[in-house]
Amino acid sequence: MASRINPKFSEELKKYGSVNFNACYNCGTCTAVCSLSTTDDSFPREMVRLSALGLENEIKESLKPWECYYCGECTTHCPQTANPGELMMSLRRWLTAQYDWTGLSGLFYKYLPAFLTAMALVLAGVLLFANSVNGELEKMLHFGHLFERTAIATVFVVIFIPNLLRMWYFTVVKPGGKVPLKTYFTALGELFVHMFTQKRAKECDDNHFRWLEHLILVFAYLLLLFTTVFLNWFSTGNLFVIILGYLESAFIFIITVDFVKDRIQKKKTLSKNSGPSDWFFVIWLLLMGLTAFLVRLFIDLNILEGNKWLYLFHITVLAQWALLIVPFGKWTHFLYRSFAMYFVKIKSVYPAQ
Amino acid sequence: MKERIGVYICHCGGNISDYVDVERVRQAVENDRGVVLAKTTVFACSDSNQNDMVDDIKKHNLDGVIVASCSPKLHLATFRSVTERGDLNKYTYVHTNIREQASWAHSDDKIGATEKAILLVKAAIAKSRYAEPLYPNQFEAEKTIAVIGAGISGMKAAVSLSDKNTSVILIEKENKVGGHTATWGPLAMSDEKGSDLSHRIYSDLLQRDNVTVLTGSEVISSKGSIGNFTLKVRKRAQQAGDPVETMEFNVGSVVVATGFDPYLPKAGEFGFSSYENVITLPDFKHLIDSFSGKYLEYRGKRINRIAYIYCVGSRQVDGENRYCSRYCCTSVIHAAIQAKKKFKEIYNFHFNRGIRTYGKQELLYAESLQQGDIYLQSFEDAPPQVYAENGKTKVKIKDVLTKEKELEIEADLVVLVTGMVPRADNSIGTMFKLPKGRDKFFNEVHMKLRPVETVIDGITIAGTCQGPKNIVESVNSALSAAAKSYSYISKGMLETEPIVAEVNTDLCAWCGKCAEACPFDAIGQKDVNGKQVAVINNSVCKGCGMCAPVCPPDAINLINYSSEEIMSMIEQLAGG
Repeated sequence: MASRINPKFSEELKKYGSVNFNACYNCGTCTAVCSLSTTDDSFPREMVRLSALGLENEIKESLKPWECYYCGECTTHCPQTANPGELMMSLRRWLTAQYDWTGLSGLFYKYLPAFLTAMALVLAGVLLFANSVNGELEKMLHFGHLFERTAIATVFVVIFIPNLLRMWYFTVVKPGGKVPLKTYFTALGELFVHMFTQKRAKECDDNHFRWLEHLILVFAYLLLLFTTVFLNWFSTGNLFVIILGYLESAFIFIITVDFVKDRIQKKKTLSKNSGPSDWFFVIWLLLMGLTAFLVRLFIDLNILEGNKWLYLFHITVLAQWALLIVPFGKWTHFLYRSFAMYFVKIKSVYPAQ
Repeated sequence: MKERIGVYICHCGGNISDYVDVERVRQAVENDRGVVLAKTTVFACSDSNQNDMVDDIKKHNLDGVIVASCSPKLHLATFRSVTERGDLNKYTYVHTNIREQASWAHSDDKIGATEKAILLVKAAIAKSRYAEPLYPNQFEAEKTIAVIGAGISGMKAAVSLSDKNTSVILIEKENKVGGHTATWGPLAMSDEKGSDLSHRIYSDLLQRDNVTVLTGSEVISSKGSIGNFTLKVRKRAQQAGDPVETMEFNVGSVVVATGFDPYLPKAGEFGFSSYENVITLPDFKHLIDSFSGKYLEYRGKRINRIAYIYCVGSRQVDGENRYCSRYCCTSVIHAAIQAKKKFKEIYNFHFNRGIRTYGKQELLYAESLQQGDIYLQSFEDAPPQVYAENGKTKVKIKDVLTKEKELEIEADLVVLVTGMVPRADNSIGTMFKLPKGRDKFFNEVHMKLRPVETVIDGITIAGTCQGPKNIVESVNSALSAAAKSYSYISKGMLETEPIVAEVNTDLCAWCGKCAEACPFDAIGQKDVNGKQVAVINNSVCKGCGMCAPVCPPDAINLINYSSEEIMSMIEQLAGG
C-alpha cells in the first residue's frame, strides 16, 4: 500500500517550531556531518524528508528524533539553511504531543495563550489555597509538602505511565516487531544508563562541557526532588540534609542561569531558536532552584514568617512546574529520551518485520 | 619542381624523440635530391624555431619547407604562416605527421617507428617537389542575408544583422511573428511576458528600413552557394481571393532559425488522452496564464493538487529522444510558483528524474522548495505511474529520496512536462541539405568551436532548430549565427580554399559519376565547344576528393593531391 503524501503536515509542524525545513534538497550533508548518525540508523535527512512528505505514521513510529541530542552541526553545515537541527527539535515536541493522551501537550505547544491561561489558573489556585488557610505559614508548608508528593504520584500514574505505554505502542508494537518478554529485561540496562548518564549527548561533537553541565543539573534536580519530598528539607534539622539541599538548589540555578544566558546570546546553533516551551522550562527550573534556596535560607535566618510572599512565590512556581511543565512540557524529554534508547535497543535485537 | 627544400624534424619534447631516433631520420633524408637543409628541433612550433625557419628560408633561398612533427590538425596552419613570413606561398609547405603515425603508434618498436618516420619524411619530400603556389578563389558576395523563421531567435538575428547595415529578409511561415515565445505569459527569471518580449523586438524590426519581414511565407527553393544564393519565396494569400505571390531574393548567406515542436505525448503515455485531467506543459502554462479566479479550475473542476511528471519525451531510455530538453525543469518550476501565487490552495508535486535548474535558475528551485513544493524522484527504470482509482486520478512513485518507498497522491491535474523535438516539417533542412545529428536536430560543424555553422557554407543555424535551448541560449546562438553569417559576406568578396577538384575537359566525356559522388553538390554539367563536360563550382567544392577516384577516364584531379604527387609519395613509402 502506497503511503499518502500530506503537504499540509509542514504547516502543522511549523506550529511546533520547525524552521524552513522545506528548503531541503536532500543532499544529505546533515546526515554526513552528524556524529550520532550511523549507516544503519541514519538521520536527520530521513526525518526532514518524512516531514516534508507529511508521512505522519512513519514519523510516529520513529525513535530517531530522540536519538538526536542537538549539537547543531547539521544546521551549521546545511547549504540550504533548512535547519535540520530545529526540525528534529520540533519533531520531538510533535511526538511528545502524540504520546500525550490528554492532548494538552499539543495544545500548549501550539497555542501559547492556552498555556498562559493554564499558568494563570494554577497561580489563582495557589492564591485561593493561601487564602483558605488564612496565609498561615505552618499550614502552607504542610500542605505544600503534601502537594509535592501527591502531584508526583498523580502525574506518574495518570500521565506518564499511559503516555509511555502509548510511546511503546507507537514505536515498538505497531511497526510489527514481535519482541520476546525476555528482551525487555535484558535491554533494561540501556534505559537506566541513558536516563542517568545521557552518555549519548557526550558523543555529540565538541559537547563535553554542555553534557557535564546537563548531567550535574539532572542529578541536582533529582536529588533536590528527593531531598525536599522524602527528606523534608524545609522542615528538617539534619545539618547534612540542609547543606545538601543548599548545594543542589545552588547548582540548579547556577547552571540554568548559564543556559538562559546561552538562549539570550544565541551564539550556539541549538540556542538560536527558543520556543516558549524552552523558555518556560529553563526559567521555571531556575526559579525552582532559586526560590527553594531562598526559602530555606529565610527559614535558617528566621525571617520567612515575615516574608510569606517568598514561600507563596516558591509554591506557585512549584505548582506550575509540577502540574504543567513536567507532565505536558519539555520536562518529559527526560523520560522519552531514555525510553527511546531502551526501545531502540529492543528493536535492534528484534527488528520490525 | 622544387630544388631547394628545407626539412625540420621535431622532437616534440620527447613525444617523438623518445621512440623515433630523430637524428637518424635527419641523416637518412639530408642527402635526398633537392634537400639543402635538414635539421632537428626540440619544439618546431616554438617561437624561436619559427623565427629560425623564416631566417633559413631567406638565407638558404629555400623554395619548399617540410616539418615532420604532430598532426596537421594541430600545426598545419602554424607552419603555413611561417612559410608565408619567409615570403613563400603557403601552399608550398608540406606537413608530415611522425608523432601520431610513428612515435605514438609504435612506442613498442623504436626501430620500426624510426624506419616508418624516415619513409614518411621521404614521401613528404616527394610531395614537396610538386607543391605549387596556390591562390584562394575569390568571388563577389551578395550583401543581403535571409533569416528563415521569425521566432525569438530569428528576430534577434535580424536585429543584429540590421545593426551591421546589412539588408535582411526575415521569412516567417506563420501569419504572425514571435513563434512559441509570443504565446507565453510571464517567463521564468525575468517575469516579462513572452508576448510583450516578442512584440518589443518586432516593433524594433518594423522601424528598420533594411529589414523586410515576410509573414505567411515559405522558402520553396534555393539555388547557388555561399555568397550567391537565390531563394524563391511563396507568400500565401492573406485573404480569400488574393493571388499567391512568388518572389525571388538573392542573398549571400542564410540564417536558419526554424525552431522546435513541443513533444506531443503518445496516447496512454502517463495517462495522456486516457484521462482528461492529464495535460502537457504548454497547455498548463496557457491555462494558468489565461485563467482568472480565486481558485484554479480546469474543465469546470477545482484544482488543488497538481502533479508534474518530468522528462516526458526527453531523456528517453527506449524512445529516440535521448537528450535533455534543457528548458523544461526551469519552466515548470516557474509555472508551479506562478500557480501557487496566483491561485488559492495549490499544492505542487514534482515527480522528477533529477532537477536541472542550472545557473541562476537554481534560485527558482529554491523558491519553489521554500513555498512547500514537494519533489519526488525516480530513475528512468521506474517512472511514476498515473492511474485512476474510484474516479480519482492518482500518481504513484517509488521515491529514491525516501528509500524507494512507494508514495502516492491524488492529483486534480497531471502536467506532463514535455520537452522539445525537432520540427516535423523538415522542408528547409531538405532544401539546404542540412545534416542532422543523432537527436534529429540540425547539426553544427563542431559542438564547441563552431556551434552555429553547418557543413553547407553560408548557412548558419540559430536557436532551437540546432537543439533544445531556453530563450537566453537561443538568443545567444542567434546573435552568434548572425555574426557568423555576416562575416561570410562582410567584405563583399569571398575567398575559398584553392584546394579543389579540377576537370580536364579534354578527357572528360560527362558520365555523371563524379556528380553522383559529390556530397556537396559542387559538380555541374556544361557545354564546352559542343561537348558536355563536368564543371566544378569552386565556391562549393570542399576538396574532399570523392570525385577523383570514380572518374573512369581519370579526368579529375584534386589540386595539391594530383595523381603524380600521390604516386610519388606511395613510391617513397613503399621503399623507393
